[in-house]
Amino acid sequence: MITLTHPAAVTYLGLPGYVFAWLIFVSGLSIFSYIIYRRYLLIRSGKPDPRFSDTGKRVLDLIVYGFIQKRQPRYLWAGLIHIMIFWGFVVLGLRSIDLVSQGLSLPFLRPLTQTGFGPFYDTFKDIFELIVLGACLWAILRRALVKHERYEGSHTFEAYFVLCLISFLMITDMFYEGSMLLLNKSQETFLPASRLAALVLSDSSPRLLTGTHIWSYWLHLITFFFFLNFLPLGKHFHIITALPNVFLRKPDKGAIKPAQWGVEDIDELETLGVEKFEDFTWKHILDFYTCTECGRCSDNCPAHITGRPLSPKMLTLKLRDHGYHKVPVFGSADREGAKEDEKDDALPMIGGLISRDEIWSCTTCGACEEECPVFIEYIDKIIDMRRHLIETAQNPKTFNQVLMHFEKTGNPFGKPATKRADWVKELEDTDVRVLKEGDEVDVLYFVDSYGSYDPAAQAIAAAIVKGLNSAGIDFGILGPLEKDSGHQVRRMGEEGLFQLLVEENMETLSSVRFKSIITTDPHALNTLKKDYPGDFEVFHYTQFFQSLVETGQLRPAKSPDTDDIYTYHDPCYLGRHNGIYNEPRQLLGSIPGLKLVEMERSRDRSFCCGGGDIVLWHEIEQEEIRMASMRIQMAKEAGANVIVTACPFCFIHFEDAIKTDGLENDLRVVDLMKLFVSTLA
Amino acid sequence: MNIVVCVKRVPLTQEVDLEIDGTGKDVKKDALAYVVNDWDNYAIEEAVLLQEKFGGTATAITIGTEDDEEVLRRALAVGADRAIRIDPGDLELDGFVISKLLAGVIKDLEYDLVLTGVQADDDNCGMVGIMLAEHLGLSHAAVVTGVEPEGDEATIKVELEGGMDEVSKIPFPALLSIQTGINEPRYVSIMGIRKAGKKELKVLEVADLNLTEDDLTPRTVVEEVFLPPETEGAEIIEGDASTVAEEIIRILTEKGVMV
Amino acid sequence: MGDIFVVVEHRKGEVRDITYEMLFKAGQLCREYSHNLTAVILAGHDESFLDDIAPKADRGIVYEDESLKHFNGDLYRDILKGLIEEHRPFLTLAGHTSWGMDLGPALSAKTGYPLATDCVDILVENDRPVVIRQIFSGKVFSRVSFKESEGYLVSVRPGSFLPEDIEARKGEVIKNELPADLPVPRKNFVEFVDTAAGDVDISQADLLVSIGRGIGDEDNIEELKNLANTMGGTLSCSRPIVDKNWLPKYHQVGTSGKSVKPKVYLAFGISGAFQHVAGITAAGTVIAVNKDKKAPIFRVADYGVVDDLFNVVNALKEKLNA
Repeated sequence: MITLTHPAAVTYLGLPGYVFAWLIFVSGLSIFSYIIYRRYLLIRSGKPDPRFSDTGKRVLDLIVYGFIQKRQPRYLWAGLIHIMIFWGFVVLGLRSIDLVSQGLSLPFLRPLTQTGFGPFYDTFKDIFELIVLGACLWAILRRALVKHERYEGSHTFEAYFVLCLISFLMITDMFYEGSMLLLNKSQETFLPASRLAALVLSDSSPRLLTGTHIWSYWLHLITFFFFLNFLPLGKHFHIITALPNVFLRKPDKGAIKPAQWGVEDIDELETLGVEKFEDFTWKHILDFYTCTECGRCSDNCPAHITGRPLSPKMLTLKLRDHGYHKVPVFGSADREGAKEDEKDDALPMIGGLISRDEIWSCTTCGACEEECPVFIEYIDKIIDMRRHLIETAQNPKTFNQVLMHFEKTGNPFGKPATKRADWVKELEDTDVRVLKEGDEVDVLYFVDSYGSYDPAAQAIAAAIVKGLNSAGIDFGILGPLEKDSGHQVRRMGEEGLFQLLVEENMETLSSVRFKSIITTDPHALNTLKKDYPGDFEVFHYTQFFQSLVETGQLRPAKSPDTDDIYTYHDPCYLGRHNGIYNEPRQLLGSIPGLKLVEMERSRDRSFCCGGGDIVLWHEIEQEEIRMASMRIQMAKEAGANVIVTACPFCFIHFEDAIKTDGLENDLRVVDLMKLFVSTLA
Repeated sequence: MNIVVCVKRVPLTQEVDLEIDGTGKDVKKDALAYVVNDWDNYAIEEAVLLQEKFGGTATAITIGTEDDEEVLRRALAVGADRAIRIDPGDLELDGFVISKLLAGVIKDLEYDLVLTGVQADDDNCGMVGIMLAEHLGLSHAAVVTGVEPEGDEATIKVELEGGMDEVSKIPFPALLSIQTGINEPRYVSIMGIRKAGKKELKVLEVADLNLTEDDLTPRTVVEEVFLPPETEGAEIIEGDASTVAEEIIRILTEKGVMV
Repeated sequence: MGDIFVVVEHRKGEVRDITYEMLFKAGQLCREYSHNLTAVILAGHDESFLDDIAPKADRGIVYEDESLKHFNGDLYRDILKGLIEEHRPFLTLAGHTSWGMDLGPALSAKTGYPLATDCVDILVENDRPVVIRQIFSGKVFSRVSFKESEGYLVSVRPGSFLPEDIEARKGEVIKNELPADLPVPRKNFVEFVDTAAGDVDISQADLLVSIGRGIGDEDNIEELKNLANTMGGTLSCSRPIVDKNWLPKYHQVGTSGKSVKPKVYLAFGISGAFQHVAGITAAGTVIAVNKDKKAPIFRVADYGVVDDLFNVVNALKEKLNA
């Protein structure tokens, strides 16, 4: 048995190894601090964004989504690999710290390792070394053997490189300890990874073993600090920023951020929206740092899938690179920044680097945000960029008239406000109270513009009032007093007009008394709940009628006539943005004899119909297939011949797609409310 | 180049079933939404495009009450530098009186070009622009679909009937009545309009303008307005889309345009 | 007992239809109220249409000069002003056309005679003309009278008076010299540009499938083009479609586009602004499909369908493909 000298205690070139360890440590940490400082500078240039409220919830999210990595297994194999590597990092971080501290001759972890925890941990980390090594190999093979479309545009070389680095860290430690096992035979702890290395080294001479032991250590140390400094330069920055980014996630899905946080009155602002990089909030800049380039966002983005020029991942990558150019790691921020500004004249960030059609392609369906394992936000950024386009008149010209109509008549059609309740007149034997100022009612039915004026949506509204009457609910509508909820206007980026509509509606809503509001449209539900300053109880009709069924106030008695097979399409603003997945299904379930199948993409993976705003007034030329066309195919594939929706826009898009695709004999679309009302006795 | 652009606020009537008011001389307007006259939108855009290209100032003028200032704020938001509202008080207005009021203000301004819309959406008269040009002694052209200034003159395009444009040259100062389609008017956001509120907006009274009794007397009088008789017009084909389609095909076949 | 002046409108050596329409209406008024009908012709030398116009009026007052070959606001206004002040006609008619929209207001300002523009009918009450106009894009009519004056100016909407046959009149021709004190014109003619020339000649088609604002979206144009093809018709459109650059100008029907004379005119989503309707006066059967039952197109159409145009288009496609 040979007494082993610690590699740092060995003398090199007449100097003790500790000197070199300190040198590596100090220079590694200094460079790292400097890089982080540069990254911090860029973050600091961002706009305010309050992210520290509700800490309890944030800590919980950090545990669930950060440490347990709940969203990873949505892509099963990649997710499992990631979880293995992530937990390897957590476990092996301690090991690396221990190795570094040994080198610095500051063995502050020794009290811990010399307890019973020491051998236990050694076994544990050894198992994890094998797991991580296996996961890295698997990851490399996975990338090499199968071309995953979602990685297109990602930094593949970096991915391989980092996987190799990680593997190298594992291997160096394995050989460090494996050689020690052979030299120092007193070890009794179960160390599978080190044993494996020892097996490889078993025939080596003591001299070779000593050399392996020493150089494994140094290579591990150098690689460790190299890796640390490499992280903030590429997509593996997420190793550092992901947990903070999860902790700082946006708390309320569906809501749109104000023009600027902390500014109540937009008149105080010089400009609206994002024109320059610094117009993003600091948290949005942190988002850019955090992107892992996994491409799950784009893989689920209906705009991307249908050939529109938007890929959420590429949006992030382009903007991240743009930001890094503005404040590069090396070189002066100001000088470089100025140079970049000159370049900006030729290619502005908005309209150049990020094309206008890219910005208008988004349907705000939220699929990307639902999928992102590290909670990167897209919708707020898109809307902020739209705000800039609107303020600088870079919007599609077709918006001009629509927005003018919203402003002047309170609806997108330019129909007179006085006719807003005219749909009620055409209802036979259905009583609808049109409220006036000072009236009192239990349920206020917010019909919104499409329900009020569009024939297809009017039919849904008619079914709702029929249902309300059947249940004997005391309800009323606002008629000419109601203005468009503004959901579309806000998402088109016309913030000023949205505020105007909110102001007018708030005045109306405070002039009548009611207990709760119900809406035709998930979009109206979303905006009244999330974008309005009022504290209303707002329900979508599916929630409201589901509760009526539950309490026995309404009971569907008739079965659907034929043996149709139904499938339910989750509208984005009902499902993803408001978490209402079960009520509509329960409502369907209450209909006797109704056969329901689920589409592969359902619930939080539902596929957008095309959306309720931009698509109505602006065609994206690059689109190869309409979203609604894709969606109805999915329904067909699920074996359904009836698609049930709970949103007037989904209904309109699907009905149109069924006609244009000539599928009238195979499929039809029905709104849940109309279906439900038709089954009431 | 200094440009004056005359604008009018008119009711939005496209989707409205208009009704006649109590006097029988006008339509009921209380429930109507008001917008910038469509032709004037193009005139404002053209004024600002020219000003952006050639420098100088753009001044927007309207005649009306405080409510009508909205169209001026829009013009300011598009890019006009200042605005003037002429308050007509109780004055009876027709195209002639309007042109006199405008002339009374514009004659004291510095300008190379005066732009108006071809006509207004409400009375569809189309006379103010050219009358104004005559009062000011300007060269003029109506129904203009293109303006290209070159030194102290401009090459302009006038839209004729039957798919024909007339190209001519016109010296400054000139008045052009602008036709729709000459440009693509930009959107101005609510925020933009509010910000434009900070720009200069002057209000003038009729008394400030040194106009004679004759200048202020309308030359035409609306005696009555009435809705077109319901009975005249098309024979309505009733029924669902399929029945309608069959009937259309029958007519087409009967007329021998479709085999 | 006065004169009714009709300002003869012409282009490229040809009389425009509006001239005959005015001569027809003026002839009726002259018969009824014993006025004389004077056609005023300002034209270039040897313009061939003199022989055609003169017999349709009691007299033709003619100014011939190369400077008058094309409409010139300055010259036309000053010559007509002189003539009006000399003859003091009871009524002077010009077309509500690009010419008339320039000439009418200028003459009114210079002569002090009151002007009513864009009139669809002219009556005489108490020795004064009273006109019918359309306001709010044709949704409402108005009856307009004039402040008392020696004479009155009226610009006539094209297509308002369709001449059946114009009775022959004396046809005396008076050739006047140009006034000596004519100013040097400021606006100068350069050229005509044919904006409606293109691959498709809508003026020759027997069946026009025509689309308007109601089409909603540029993408739907393809669908209508297909329908037109299936039917063996030609696609045409109203002005907003061209303004939006959705179709080239040569598809446009109306005053600023082409006048068409198909056997059947099938209008989808066209509201029927008068500028458009003026282009289809020579059409045989007009079938209009529009959501708005009050759309003015239904007033000129022979058949109307009140429905979403796409419902009808889809039904038509189905039937035609069956």
